[in-house]
Amino acid sequence: MNLAIRDVRYYRFKFLSSTIGVSLLIMVVVAIGGIVRGVISDSSTIIENTGADLWVVQAYGAHPQGGTLGPFVEISRIPQSIYHAIEVMPGVAEASPLVMGWEHVERMPRQTPLMKFMYMNALINTATMVNPGWMAMPQAQRFIVIGYKPGKIGGPPVIVAGRGIEASHYEVVANDSADFHVGERLRLGNFDYTVVGLTKNMVGFTADPVIYATLLDAQNIIFQQDPNLLRNVQPAIAQDFKDLATTQAAQPRLLEPLGAKAAQAVENTLFINAIAVKLRPGASAKEVAARIMRWQHLAAYTAAEQVDIQLMGSNRLLLFQMALFRDILVLIAGVVIGLIIYTFTLDKLHEIAMLKLLGAPGRVIYEMILQEALFMGVVGTLVGSGLEALIEPYFPRRVIATYGDIGQMLVAMIVVATLACVLAVRRAMHVDPSSVLGAG
Amino acid sequence: MLSQEPRYAIWAEHLTKVYGRGRTRVEALKGVDLAVRPRDLFAIMGPSGSGKTTLLKTLGLVTEPTEGRLLIDGDDIYGDERPDFARIRREKTGFIFQSPNLIPFLTAAENVLLPLSLIDVRGKRATERVAELLDYLEIAERAELYPNQLSGGEQQRVAIARALANNPKMILADEPTASLDTDRALRVMQLLRQISRESGTAVLVVTHDYRMIEEVDRVIQLVDGRIVDAKIVTPARSQEARLRQQDLRG
Repeated sequence: MNLAIRDVRYYRFKFLSSTIGVSLLIMVVVAIGGIVRGVISDSSTIIENTGADLWVVQAYGAHPQGGTLGPFVEISRIPQSIYHAIEVMPGVAEASPLVMGWEHVERMPRQTPLMKFMYMNALINTATMVNPGWMAMPQAQRFIVIGYKPGKIGGPPVIVAGRGIEASHYEVVANDSADFHVGERLRLGNFDYTVVGLTKNMVGFTADPVIYATLLDAQNIIFQQDPNLLRNVQPAIAQDFKDLATTQAAQPRLLEPLGAKAAQAVENTLFINAIAVKLRPGASAKEVAARIMRWQHLAAYTAAEQVDIQLMGSNRLLLFQMALFRDILVLIAGVVIGLIIYTFTLDKLHEIAMLKLLGAPGRVIYEMILQEALFMGVVGTLVGSGLEALIEPYFPRRVIATYGDIGQMLVAMIVVATLACVLAVRRAMHVDPSSVLGAG
Repeated sequence: MLSQEPRYAIWAEHLTKVYGRGRTRVEALKGVDLAVRPRDLFAIMGPSGSGKTTLLKTLGLVTEPTEGRLLIDGDDIYGDERPDFARIRREKTGFIFQSPNLIPFLTAAENVLLPLSLIDVRGKRATERVAELLDYLEIAERAELYPNQLSGGEQQRVAIARALANNPKMILADEPTASLDTDRALRVMQLLRQISRESGTAVLVVTHDYRMIEEVDRVIQLVDGRIVDAKIVTPARSQEARLRQQDLRG
């Protein structure tokens, strides 16, 4: 006869209400796990979807390899033409020049009631921490603009609405989380662009959605200076050139056009931030990377290293903190289960004494307590995970809880519930069966 | 004498129980000797603090005597090789209390089934035994109800059925009729009488209730932890008891 099942069945309201409390706690634990996975996924999604084996970036930075940690967490700027030299290196199948940078658009995000609630909630939570004026932030949306050469790697991995970029200029594909619709026009840099298609799940490690443009357009968006600024600085540069060149000039008539040429140099946008390299089958990433560093004076990272750089460089402490917070919550869930089971056991001391008097072996009693704790832990985990799945889409950032995470949580809660009932079992074992009999 | 012992459901020699030490020392039992055969129905009577419950606890193996020897159905409880007390309780003992002490989250049938599941009697055999007992105690139609859905009398009958479920060698009853009116109390005692005769179970009833005397074979009078009287009950004595009860009522 399973006493735990019968106890739970009879006191179902008491058990279910307690289990719902545990479930809500576990929902938070699973959600935090999902947020951690979401941050990790956000940090790797561009890299994974680009499909590059190597990421070539500007050399001479702080990294022990002698390269910058670009293009995502440090500035990396290299001449565009160099990708041709990489493409013809042994072992390289394809080298794709990429431009990427953060841009913002003066555009109000969609004001859903949930978003309004979140802003208000954030405002209340940070009231004593920041200037309330930060609520004006949502009036601009921030994006990562990625420029690529159509036909090469680095473009949108999938089109969920509209089409991919076909024209050489003024067309973009946006991630669906940016809330653009196909045909919408937006101003980026000095020009207007049309959203011709939507992709999905393409965000940066900051969760900013990606906008794909052609390489040339992206270079214009990211590197092009304000024409008014150019108008101001170019005469000065030309004059400086002429002043410097006059003393040595053999051909004074060339000074004017050369000065103009020098002034134009500040308009140059033919830079890229990284080169995504796809290797030939069987080629060693390590060897190709070494060759690039040796002969092209650039730094090269494997895709895995690039993910690590993003995680280490940007979200490392955040992930440490969240993992720690998650552990604390698991511990709290254990303490809560332990206290609930202990209280339930205190309520049952008379019945436990009776069971002992009837000759029930200790095993029968601790099995009952353990099974009730496991019931709470397992049902709490399953219900909590279900609730987390329901609320997942409403988080402002991606939250990804997998079945693996739920399985891990289940194992953790079985361990925690088992440990949590130790105190209750200990109390039950000390119950004196003679307490059922009166005095006399 | 020892060769005779297995014939006794309970054989107690010089049972002594001392609580506390020094100034708080209390001798609850002082050398109690007791021999109870199968089918015997004894009443243990005595004023409050006379040691009745201590004797019951000692016989129920929940309190260890300070001195003395105790055999339950031939098992030497405090001998060189001590048996598992819980096993003796679940296999050889049935308990009945003043309040029914049913497990509240088990139905009437499950409460009766509980001692059977503790001795690994399961399946059809267990179900039939439960049905038989509930039928015998005329509460078969209440089998699926929880204790809080039963009347006090019904709960007491379920408790009796539970005590009988494992076919015990002895039933220890602690004031089983105290909370019942005279008719119900008599019915319970008659039932215990019937059970002891039909199943050969020895029954020891701790009671204050003189109304019950005529239903028992022997009344053991305990005073200050000592048996001062252990008389066989005769019809005349029963009559005397009834008169005494009436006197007490005034």
